[in-house]
Amino acid sequence: MTMLNNTQSNLLGGATDAVLSMRDVKVHYPVKEGLLQQVTGYVRAVDGVSLSIPRGQTLGLVGESGCGKTTLGRVISGLVAPTNGELWVDVSPEDQKEIDRLSSLSPKEMGQADQATLKRLKENNLLGSMSKEKQRHYRRNCQVVFQDAFSSLNPRQLVRDIVGRPLRVHHEASGDDLDEKVVELLEKVGLGRQHLLRYPHQFSGGQRQRISIARALALNPEFVVLDEPTSALDVSVQAQILNLLVELQKDMGLTYLFITHDLGVVQHMADSIAVMYLGQIAEFGPTADVFNNPLHPYTRILRDSNPSLEDDDEREKWDLSGTVPNPINPPRGCRLHPRCPLAKAECGWSVDDVLTDTERHAPVLFETITRVQRSSDFSVRIEFDQADSATQFATRVGQLSAHDALDRPVAVEGASVDMSFVEVSDAELEQMQEGRWSSCTRTQQLGALPELDSNKSQ
Amino acid sequence: MSDTTLLRVEDLSVHFRSSKGVAHAVDHVSFDIKPHETLALVGETGCGKSVTARSILRLVPEPPGEYASGEVFLRNANDSETDILSSSPKEVRAIRGDRISMIFQDPGKALNPGLTIGRQLAEVFGEHRLSMLFENAEMADSKPSRLAQRVAQQRANAFQKIVFDVTSRGASKRLQKAIDESVMDALADTGIPNPRKIMQSYPHELSGGMKQRVMIAQALACDPDLLIADEPTTALDVTIQARILELIHQMQQRRGMAILYITHDLSLVREFADRVAVMYAGRIVEMGPSADVLASPQHPYTQGLLDAIPRAATPRGELAAIPGTVPQLIDPPAQCHFASRCEFASAACRSVIPVPLTTGPGRTVACHRFDSAESLGVPADFMPVAATVKGKPSR
Repeated sequence: MTMLNNTQSNLLGGATDAVLSMRDVKVHYPVKEGLLQQVTGYVRAVDGVSLSIPRGQTLGLVGESGCGKTTLGRVISGLVAPTNGELWVDVSPEDQKEIDRLSSLSPKEMGQADQATLKRLKENNLLGSMSKEKQRHYRRNCQVVFQDAFSSLNPRQLVRDIVGRPLRVHHEASGDDLDEKVVELLEKVGLGRQHLLRYPHQFSGGQRQRISIARALALNPEFVVLDEPTSALDVSVQAQILNLLVELQKDMGLTYLFITHDLGVVQHMADSIAVMYLGQIAEFGPTADVFNNPLHPYTRILRDSNPSLEDDDEREKWDLSGTVPNPINPPRGCRLHPRCPLAKAECGWSVDDVLTDTERHAPVLFETITRVQRSSDFSVRIEFDQADSATQFATRVGQLSAHDALDRPVAVEGASVDMSFVEVSDAELEQMQEGRWSSCTRTQQLGALPELDSNKSQ
Repeated sequence: MSDTTLLRVEDLSVHFRSSKGVAHAVDHVSFDIKPHETLALVGETGCGKSVTARSILRLVPEPPGEYASGEVFLRNANDSETDILSSSPKEVRAIRGDRISMIFQDPGKALNPGLTIGRQLAEVFGEHRLSMLFENAEMADSKPSRLAQRVAQQRANAFQKIVFDVTSRGASKRLQKAIDESVMDALADTGIPNPRKIMQSYPHELSGGMKQRVMIAQALACDPDLLIADEPTTALDVTIQARILELIHQMQQRRGMAILYITHDLSLVREFADRVAVMYAGRIVEMGPSADVLASPQHPYTQGLLDAIPRAATPRGELAAIPGTVPQLIDPPAQCHFASRCEFASAACRSVIPVPLTTGPGRTVACHRFDSAESLGVPADFMPVAATVKGKPSR
């Protein structure tokens, strides 16, 4: 995508030795309707994520439920095939640069040498193009710990079978040897031989999560995707599990992708953080910087909503309005703008924002709309059942923040209204400081997060 | 003190009989709630906090549950007290939803998936505010008592019944309008945009935050004196959580009800509660003003809970986890339940059940570190290292 073509940009996470680097990964689920099950749209669960996961570190992925963080985790672990995009495995910094350069070229611009390099890289590192052997190796190397240890363990299997299964599948061990290996794994996660012949229901939540972790570590992976590993646990147990994870990382040199909605946990665990909103990454950067000096209003809001035990200074708390928009038809421009306390004209107002707002706050008026004729996302002709409603609608639009984004005044003509907004391209991530990325257009202009306009009307 | 309490729980014990033995889910718990205050009940999964809350409304199923001891007194307007646990089921039903109401943890499970939001909320008014509805529908003289009786019989579709019962078409329309208006007011009060549309939707059509708002509207429809909020935000995102808590707080200020707030998250307590009671394995181990308790916890368990919360300043991998696991509640031995996980535990802790000791204004703690060997009747070398505390703790 254009972001990658940008001269100064390499990937989020920079040109480091990466266990995995994703380029423009998309997962779109078709929405089918009617008798014939025709595809009427796509749920854009993950919509263009480029991210590299540096080896030996912990990358935190945070966001609200439904923002696509779990889907992204599933793409990485190979449980969901991406609709679009590339996953490069085990890329060295040099290869990273090479891929950057090559992916910005069109096939015509490539010389023979370039094409050979690309072919070599693809065969060695690109998931999907590399040999079956290598793909299997990646699968072994990348393991997952799921959120709900209650449903991710087979209730009819013994711990020996659950933890031993990966070993058996990959012909690593069998018989007594298998038992010994399982015991070794259990001891690693703080359980023991006495637990070998028990069923999952005989364990507490924390112990079950330990079994899950033992299973993930059975094949000595380098990379573990932790999908909300502690959200079902109590704080005291959560602390035990987090300590265990850190210890294992030190011992085995693991790379973690830590998916969570708990900012306290991610702040404690992660080296760098990617904040997701509606399928896209809103902000990326080193953990401490992102928390102390957020460059995206969404990060700031998440931080402010997180209750803390320490007395925070009497700073103003930012708040999100409204609800998460429909991921089938996400807002144009910056995806946060309909809910953002900082939203201004340039943030990408479009026809849908006005219609959604009308439906929500003036339902009676919304009912009077008889026809909506769009020429684009930004320009529309709305017909009402009477002229009165049209005038009322025009006045309403005049009071919205979207009003500033109109490229000409709303034209009322009898019972119909013509409206057109300034077209805005979709917000893209931009490197603001060394290693800090934000997709907020206003922040990008100012170079820092704007102040909250306190006398804002909305 | 007692003349201003709204709710008094005295020595409450709830047991569950199972094939393995008797589980002491709630074990001699006493606390009180004053009007307009927020008391937080904090503890880990399985510590008995939800059972305590449900006992207040007598919602624990019997069997397998059993109220082994104790009383729950609710103060009435005329200063008399009703013991909820010994009242008749009819009296308890009059209290539920009217004087004490409850918000449950998972709004997706607590709302009836087969009824529209409007119908569900209408039930509350049908149960407790029939005369008000008839008045609003200008039907005050049309024998509400007979209708009310019918409604009681046909609770599930209360309103359909009334509407069809009222012979005149105009009257039934007026009544339906009165119902709709009451429901809409209740919904609008919780900041739900477009209540008319929400009323006609089913629970599955709403988001989690919206469902929780509906629950709050339902709980507050009859202006209760006490709202029991059982982990109202556990199933929600942080951004929504902040707004739901803010909403509950606003409603409290506007309506002046007391709140019993049940949570496992200590960081919410600081912002939200006046007083906090920490529960462990069925017993309240520490109670006091929330700022004091969080600033200087006295019970080792409270200290452990606070230390386990990840903070920016804690070095990675060095969270102070409480070692061990929560003990079994089935036929517990007569000792401090926390003894097996406590760094201070001594012989006395393993042989005598600690009782709550007053250690300051409004503060109690159930820990032998604050007690003396004489009052426990054990040799002095059985005692754990004494805690330093201002003033003399008293029983």
